[in-house]
Amino acid sequence: MRFALSAQHIEFARSINGLLREAGTPAVIRAWAAGEHASGLALWRRLAEVGVTALAVPEQHGGLGADPVDLAVAFETMGYHAMPGPIVESIAVLPALLAPDDALAGRWLPGIADGSSIATVAMAPHVPYALDADVADIRLQVTDSGLAEFTPAAVPLDSVDAARRLYEVMGRRAISRRETAADAAFDHGVLACAAQLLGLGQRLLDDSVEYAKQRNQYGNPIGSYQAIKHLLADVATQLELARPLLHGAAVALAGDAATTSRDVSAAKVACGDAGYLAARTALQVHGAIGYTAEHDLGRWLTKARALRSAWGTPAFHRARVLDALMAERAS
Amino acid sequence: MTNIVVLVKQVPDTYSERKLSETDHTLDRESADAVLDEINERAVEEALKIKEAGEGEVTVVCVGPDRATDAIRKALSMGADKAVHVSDPALHGSDVLATAKVIAAAIQRVEGVDLVIAGNESSDGGAGAVPAILAELLGLPQLTHAHHVNVEGSAIKVDRETADEGLTHLEASLPALVSVTEKINEPRYPSFKGIMAAKKKPVETLTVGDLGVDAGEVGLANAWSSVVESAPKPPRSAGVRVEDEGDGGTKVAEYLVGQKLI
Repeated sequence: MRFALSAQHIEFARSINGLLREAGTPAVIRAWAAGEHASGLALWRRLAEVGVTALAVPEQHGGLGADPVDLAVAFETMGYHAMPGPIVESIAVLPALLAPDDALAGRWLPGIADGSSIATVAMAPHVPYALDADVADIRLQVTDSGLAEFTPAAVPLDSVDAARRLYEVMGRRAISRRETAADAAFDHGVLACAAQLLGLGQRLLDDSVEYAKQRNQYGNPIGSYQAIKHLLADVATQLELARPLLHGAAVALAGDAATTSRDVSAAKVACGDAGYLAARTALQVHGAIGYTAEHDLGRWLTKARALRSAWGTPAFHRARVLDALMAERAS
Repeated sequence: MTNIVVLVKQVPDTYSERKLSETDHTLDRESADAVLDEINERAVEEALKIKEAGEGEVTVVCVGPDRATDAIRKALSMGADKAVHVSDPALHGSDVLATAKVIAAAIQRVEGVDLVIAGNESSDGGAGAVPAILAELLGLPQLTHAHHVNVEGSAIKVDRETADEGLTHLEASLPALVSVTEKINEPRYPSFKGIMAAKKKPVETLTVGDLGVDAGEVGLANAWSSVVESAPKPPRSAGVRVEDEGDGGTKVAEYLVGQKLI
């Protein structure tokens, strides 16, 4: 099994990184949190131009038919820039969810691929609320008996991350009673969420390292003191150890391995822990400025906290890893 | 149908520390990250725009060591159709004349070239002479320092802008050579599809001998210019510190007057 990224993966990440850096996501995130979607939607279309939104869409529906490793690369990079919006739901979950139903896939996926459509998906119990349902034109709920379209509540709920606008699912209308690929769709969501957390954790570390080199105390940069070095080294180690789990889970999902659920859960736990440690450490290293609303750090911190519990809590994913290990032992 | 050749060069990343090697004062390519020169991305972008406006083929020509294939792949990922890569240890240390001769020989292998697009100067060598020398060697009209290019049928119009001479409007008939400045456009980011397609695009790798160029005309030993000595740029001096004792504003103003800035 080969975990290392190819030259093509690295080149693709560089494209996404370049355009998100150039666009400057912090201003986009602030606007998105205030319900002003114009700049975020413009960025969404630019991501569509380089193929991000088409990755998981099959070729017959206007997509690229790329594999989950490509998805992981894209989501790690989008996580690094804290790209707002229902990217997990639209880009990773919906194509997997509609895979068995060619009619629905043909209806919705071409729009997802070319960036003209945005989807949100609720799937209780782990994804009870629909992210950014006000801006999504495809609003789906996975139910016990199939798929339903829904109308969201008029106002969003409060989220720890102001840029994650969560909506309660209100009136719903069943559209399909056929079996859906809910489990595979969930695993795709978990993988994409884990990849975002890893990217975001890396951003928190990079920003903290940069700050530690610039901020002086007692006549020296704070990064020259061991107390700070050790904090940052711990974060770097956690992120490095989480990365192979993420890539391994992507490879498992790509190959539809029997261990897929276990592997994506392990990746989510490791990336969530590493990302959250990066967030807590970043706040310690930045000191009081990290708390201010004007500093961008707050955008990354709240997102790391929210994503850690999104697409299944750490406890749920730990339990899933444990169950899988026990089952392997029993057999 | 416009056949366009774009010249690309792999250079050390301007964000990393760039050095000359201690032995022969040539560029130390191993000491820094290598990237496709940004000005070449703009040259490729302009070629792709012209191609997309009508019909045509974009060929990338690169002279550089083996690892310059990364820079070529980037240009192909953006959308260029094929590439010619001249790689030969004999080229090490070549001056602008030798480089232009080799590029000219490589371009002559591409059939029916209507337009050659280059960056106005590389970010490492910075001579800015290769496009002009090349135009002379190929017998093409040279429209250099373009910040706007317009191809209409077999005519090409260019807005040339330089710091010394300001704005000039140039016009020529194809085939011609254009060099572009940083203001020409914003290069696109390679898409997933472009990156995947680039893997399968043909890259012809040639040596100096393949091109029929005499190895005695190229390389450091045959260069018309040579670097005798080099030293790292001195660190920036600390500047002038003004202690504010209630008259800080006056002192800053005095300093600026002293510098003839106000």
